Amino acid sequence: MLLRARSASFGYAGRAFLDGVDFELRAGDIAAVVGPNGAGKTTLLRGLIGLIAPIRGSVELDRTRVGYVPQREALDPLYPLTTRDVVQLGAFGRLTRWGTLRAADRGRAADALARVGLADRAHTLFSALSGGQRQRSLIARALLMDPTVLFLDEPTSGADPIAAADVMELVASLAREHGLAVVLVAHHLSAVRAHTDRALFVHCGRVEAGHLHELDDPVRALHLFRGEGAHTH
Amino acid sequence: MSLYDAFNLFLWAILATALAGIVAPLLGAHLLLRRTGLYGLVLPQFASAGVALGYALLPWWVARVGLGGLSLEEALADPHAVSNLLLGFAALTTGLGLGFQALFARARATESARAAAAFAVAGAATLLLAERSPLGAEYVDSLLRGEVLAVGVHEFEIIAAAFGLALVLLLRFQNALLLGGFDPDTARVLGLGTRRTDALLLIITGLVVATGTVIVGPMVLFSLLVIPPLGARALARSQRGFFAWTTVLGLLSAACGLALSFGLDLPLGPAVAVGSASVSAAGWLASRRPRSAGHPLPPRSVQQRAVG
Repeated sequence: MLLRARSASFGYAGRAFLDGVDFELRAGDIAAVVGPNGAGKTTLLRGLIGLIAPIRGSVELDRTRVGYVPQREALDPLYPLTTRDVVQLGAFGRLTRWGTLRAADRGRAADALARVGLADRAHTLFSALSGGQRQRSLIARALLMDPTVLFLDEPTSGADPIAAADVMELVASLAREHGLAVVLVAHHLSAVRAHTDRALFVHCGRVEAGHLHELDDPVRALHLFRGEGAHTH
Repeated sequence: MSLYDAFNLFLWAILATALAGIVAPLLGAHLLLRRTGLYGLVLPQFASAGVALGYALLPWWVARVGLGGLSLEEALADPHAVSNLLLGFAALTTGLGLGFQALFARARATESARAAAAFAVAGAATLLLAERSPLGAEYVDSLLRGEVLAVGVHEFEIIAAAFGLALVLLLRFQNALLLGGFDPDTARVLGLGTRRTDALLLIITGLVVATGTVIVGPMVLFSLLVIPPLGARALARSQRGFFAWTTVLGLLSAACGLALSFGLDLPLGPAVAVGSASVSAAGWLASRRPRSAGHPLPPRSVQQRAVG
């Protein structure tokens, strides 16, 4: 078991905004966090990673082996970082005693860039990449964190359907190759559904483990996204 | 006076300015990237207020606390004797300035508005405090003009110790400072506490600003903290390039300022500002030239999509 949440609650300033987080992930599992805007999807992700502590319950996860891909809009384009610079940031948790990057990590960064198909963009400014390319470079950076669990915050937002499908294909193949568990906040459900049916529905302050195919039921979908109608499960 | 004689006479002033030309821009680079570049303008003004406060309180300090057994007249006659006291007051008010920015960090105002308000308060305090001290007004005026010619070996030792420490810290923690500013969540995931790196940057800022204001003056510091990193940002195509260009432009700014000051008998503060602006503008213009094949940019359509 790579990730286990038991009756966890997350929130801010001691007040819980999300209750009932109860699920497990094994190697190769991919779970999509789904819910309406403002429901608390990012709060759930931050809680699972450990950026906010659970108010109740527990999260079991090897926090030294977490890969994290933030929303790319949160990264300031003022920083003059090349794609390679950004990928190398993933190894900053194990710098030398002089605060410099290890030679081996420089090589691993080049390999990770090649793995996500961006070897020829290594010297291009990160801010000049397309949305899909930036996402792939952030995934390469997460690979340098030696993850067992990969967390992605809206990896397909703002991407066209083809780019979104490409990103999801990359994530799924990495999960298979490296035996990773993946938790991702999803918007392009069609791209996600090609690779997983597992879902964590975030709505009305609660988290329900379920399946993406439940959204095919209009009544269920309305309940999950608007809080309307009867609970059908 | 020959160039050789001038060099020997003003050796410590030249070395102090050159050191400021390396360290202040490197610190300013981090402030710029974190969008707190206005600190480079506000904090030296707070440090100047501290210097003015030191002069205003000097008679009381000599009478009640003492200054190495010196009388007030002796202390006033020897600027080196009061530099440690002024440094203490500059550090105190720089700390107040940092506290002011932190206290109002969540105020419903933009960073620039808060900085402008702080600058106005610190500027007014500097002038009022200087007005209260007969010698203060004269000293603050020369401080603002950047008269570093009085820098001796004692002042150089102070700035070398403070800026040397700041340089070591900036180089040792450059990567952690960079990640903490660019992507604080990932920094925390990697175990690099952002509070620690934020606090470290504030300490380095306080150290450089308080010492630099007393030794080389606030205008030299303003110029070197803000302008070279701005020029470097226009030129740089990578993280390493940005910090390298910042250092090169900072050193060139200091060299141009010294040359203008000595050559045309101008005060150093404005001369460094003019030199820094000229060097950075030249760099910016150079960056507008068509790029070489070594730095390919994505097609225009891709850039537009990235912006969108």
